[in-house]
Amino acid sequence: MTDTTASAAARATGSGWLGKLEGKISWILLGLVGVALPLLDDSYIGVIAQRAYIYWVLSAGLNLVVGYAGQIAIGWVSMLTLGAYTTAALAAGRVGPEWNSYLALIAGGVMGAAFGVIVGLPALRLRTFYFAMTTLGFATIVTQVALAWKDITGGGVGTPGPVFSWPFEPGWGFYYFCFILAAVSTWITANIGSSRYGRALVAIRDAEVAAEASGIAKPRLLMLVFLLAGAMGGIAGGLFASLQSYITPDAFTFEMSVLFFIGILIGGRGSILGPALGTIILTALPEFAAPLVQWSTFLYASLLLLIVLVIPGGIADLLDYKNRRPLEQHREIVPRPELLARVLGEQRGETLITLKGIALHFGGVKAIDGLDLEIRGGEVHGLIGPNGSGKTTTLNVISGYYRPHNGTLKLDGVDLPFEQPHLRAERGIARTFQTPRLVGAASVLENVMIGGMVQGRATFTEAMLNLPRHRRDEKEMTEAAMLALSTVGLEGLAHVRADRLQHSELRFVEIARALMLQPACLMLDEPAAGLSADEIIRLGGLIKAVSRAGTAVLLVEHHADLIFDICDRVTVLNLGKVLAAGTPAEIRSHREVVSAYLGA
Amino acid sequence: MPTSAPSKTPLLQVSGLTAGYGKIVVLRDITLTIGAGEAVALLGPNGAGKTTLLRAVSGLLPRTGQIRFAGGDISTAGPRDTVRAGIAHVVEGHRVFTQLSVFDNLLLAGYGVAREARNAQVEEALAFFPEIAAKRNDKAVTLSGGQQQMLAVAQGLVARPRLLMLDEPSAGLSPVLVDRVLAAVSRLREGGTAVLLVEQLIEKALAVVDRVYALARGSIVLEANAGEADLASRLEHAYFGADVSAPLAS
Amino acid sequence: MFQSIVSYGLAVGAVYALIGITYNVMFSASRVFSFTAGMLGMLGGVLGALFINKMGMNAILAFVLVLGCGAVLGLVTEILTVRPVLKSIEQHLYVLSTLAFALMVQQVTAIEWGTEAQPFPTLLPAGEGWLDQKFWLPMLACAFTIGGLEFLYRKTLIGRAFLAIAEDSYAARALGLPETRLRMASYALAGMIGALAGFTGAQMLLAYFGNQAILNFYGFVPVALGGMGSNRGAVIGGLALGLFQQAANFLVGGIFAAVAVFAVFIVVLLLRPEGLAGAATARRV
Repeated sequence: MTDTTASAAARATGSGWLGKLEGKISWILLGLVGVALPLLDDSYIGVIAQRAYIYWVLSAGLNLVVGYAGQIAIGWVSMLTLGAYTTAALAAGRVGPEWNSYLALIAGGVMGAAFGVIVGLPALRLRTFYFAMTTLGFATIVTQVALAWKDITGGGVGTPGPVFSWPFEPGWGFYYFCFILAAVSTWITANIGSSRYGRALVAIRDAEVAAEASGIAKPRLLMLVFLLAGAMGGIAGGLFASLQSYITPDAFTFEMSVLFFIGILIGGRGSILGPALGTIILTALPEFAAPLVQWSTFLYASLLLLIVLVIPGGIADLLDYKNRRPLEQHREIVPRPELLARVLGEQRGETLITLKGIALHFGGVKAIDGLDLEIRGGEVHGLIGPNGSGKTTTLNVISGYYRPHNGTLKLDGVDLPFEQPHLRAERGIARTFQTPRLVGAASVLENVMIGGMVQGRATFTEAMLNLPRHRRDEKEMTEAAMLALSTVGLEGLAHVRADRLQHSELRFVEIARALMLQPACLMLDEPAAGLSADEIIRLGGLIKAVSRAGTAVLLVEHHADLIFDICDRVTVLNLGKVLAAGTPAEIRSHREVVSAYLGA
Repeated sequence: MPTSAPSKTPLLQVSGLTAGYGKIVVLRDITLTIGAGEAVALLGPNGAGKTTLLRAVSGLLPRTGQIRFAGGDISTAGPRDTVRAGIAHVVEGHRVFTQLSVFDNLLLAGYGVAREARNAQVEEALAFFPEIAAKRNDKAVTLSGGQQQMLAVAQGLVARPRLLMLDEPSAGLSPVLVDRVLAAVSRLREGGTAVLLVEQLIEKALAVVDRVYALARGSIVLEANAGEADLASRLEHAYFGADVSAPLAS
Repeated sequence: MFQSIVSYGLAVGAVYALIGITYNVMFSASRVFSFTAGMLGMLGGVLGALFINKMGMNAILAFVLVLGCGAVLGLVTEILTVRPVLKSIEQHLYVLSTLAFALMVQQVTAIEWGTEAQPFPTLLPAGEGWLDQKFWLPMLACAFTIGGLEFLYRKTLIGRAFLAIAEDSYAARALGLPETRLRMASYALAGMIGALAGFTGAQMLLAYFGNQAILNFYGFVPVALGGMGSNRGAVIGGLALGLFQQAANFLVGGIFAAVAVFAVFIVVLLLRPEGLAGAATARRV
């Protein structure tokens, strides 16, 4: 058993949709071309290449914001502008004494980082379209300010860009500077992309509620990527100013924002290689076809429309031949509950979740009207009741989404906070959802690893630089995820894109993700819906085994069979109140329960 | 059982109906019939697929299988066409347009009716529920839950449907109002409109219908006449235990 | 001075309000915002100048034709960029598809019409000073649109159907309302309103391809301030914005006026994301 999971884990690293620098061959080729280009001694091509590198430094950062986190930040040229003017003004001595160009470049990065956070803050509160508008507005403002603040920016007349000293002096020296920074940008963003932070970003993008339940704190993570993307944009700006050797406000056009943005989307979200290729293509294209220069933005826009309508996944999707291999038709899910002891780790002692006197109303409707409930470790506690009786609402209160107007919720005697659902994961409370909430574009294994978010120890910086603690994290998390998948019987589908799976398989993937938390309490929201009779029996066996391993299980269900088969205790809700509570046998013969269901 | 004589051809014939949401299959291979002027109850525990079945018949969801209505095939029709064919679907949760007046709500229900006849048919529908007729110019948001439910049922009547499908009209209503709504169902049946009634309140539903289907876990598990003696216990079995299917007593 | 601020401010505010209404009408029909609102405004001016100045058409005929083009572009927006993505699970594709289409049109305009702002003809031989037609034409258009929409929503069945779809599209579909056709009609109507805004405002804003970006943003601010889908809010927001912008222009100059508007926009949104008059968002779980 150890052998299969270890070798499976070994196979798992290095491949996968968000895999570390997928398409290693392509990167090696690009690198070789980049290093060898100066041999052509063609300064025109050199300039195009430098421009592509500089745009990629910005786009690599923006890729984390747009491609991974899914934030529609259209006006990102503002970072380029800020970085360019900061670097140029400092190096030219417009603000105090003349700065060393390299230090000025770093200052440009810092400026970009600061404004990256400022521009990103509205993303936490605003709807998508509104946020997109604010980024556009900001880009316009920056250009306007550049026009007006003549002392610093030279106004409409402009200002000279910084000149770097040996070894990166103008010419091929600077070329290698841009190349190196582009390579570094690729490396750090690829590291983030394939780390738990990258997976968390994609989870925020595609399955926000599930991300919260897995312990992912959206605000902090988004601010980190906006900071990084802003810094990279600022540095790209400084390089840009140097390449142009003289900058004016109208060098920073809306079309550039469009180019960066579209390059990422054409390349495909959640990928590093795709956007890199996209950016290179869009930069180089107009240079090689003269009439295209005028029509370049039109071309970008029509490409974007085409992508959105036809291939939303972009180039990366087209290149993903691994996920086009047909899957076995009649797949069976065969869980292996005997692996649970290893998955769940050491038990924390007898868990107890108590709800006392919980009351909650929405508008005038009493969703929960005085609820007492106890969920014990080692037991499966069923929660049933007619539609609208408050089952899912109860689950949501325990998950921390709603604050009740009355009552207490305690875990092992300690009060649990409300309206902070992302804190539940670290307390060992895991859940699944009525409709499976997974990241369709990511692989099954990556989806399960999202559940490992709170177990990771490496910081964002350690992940970015691929330091040993991060590598150890990844290895352990991959092994744990493969183990969880084996437990639910889906290890064979580990590298398949999640949206190719059948509905019943998705339910078991959610359970595997929940198991990653090594939960003291596991809550399941109607897991049997849509499953075949066989699958329900296997599901029942798995749930029972989870409880016997010490976890407290709360099972919200409609399926009478499942409830009566595996529950140790059952609570029946009706109109937000407890109608009856007891063993399944007691509930089954309870007259009032039957009446409530039959509606007499 | 309906014979093959033309006068006994069922109004609604559903066979092999399968439907769900995205990848989730909720209904498997459903077969049922409703005769002209017949009132039929569709019972079953939550999650069984009752609402899904209504949505599949009226075309609000994609589905496979065959649906024939009044001699025509509506297997692939959308909601607009099924309304034109003569089916009215009163959805769950008394969803009326709160920002419009009672009268406007009813006018909209008559969108497909010829303009000359529209007002008259709206008045007909209002006549079923004098309580809301009195509030015809008030915005629907000022109506109580029960009144909104009556308005929703009245909406279903404007186009003079041959089959009226009601999804849990009693939900959230006091017993008195439930009786009012179900009394309207009786009147409709007497007037020759077929009714398909999804309900949680079994006894009240059985009192106004001719036949009953029970749905559990996406399949029909019971079909019986409303008056049969041991129906209650058979339903209990169907909900909580082994499937108990009994052929319709002929 | 004061007169000029008020007349210019209200007039340009009326244009912003009309673009805001364009956004709203599209939003009410489909629950998504489209980047084509500003595009419609820009084309109202450009096409008007094209027909009247370059092609020598009669002003009234040109006006009707411009409105027709607006309706057609509205329809194209719906068919090409909104309908295909409404069905998708991917929530935010509409932002990209409408942006892409709007950009394509903007670029064609920049290339074919030119990047210089060109004058728009005087339409009527009337008005001078602060009563100049370039001021009251947009205000008249705005008042007419508001009145027209009220009539549409209160007195016609199709208008009531628009309101029904805006409130609860599921119930509307179940009732048998022709949802797709009504959505197309809404988008065509929005197209006309946007074109109207551009046509009547072009004597102030000129026939300029860059108006698209300007109107996209300044036409959206009334929506953000007044609440999504609220036309009344858009009018109040638009007029207030116009006055504020002109006053700021006069007091601190163009660039800081722009910064001031942006700052107000951000602050209001961060404090009340649903706008000053809008309703709070529903629960997500």
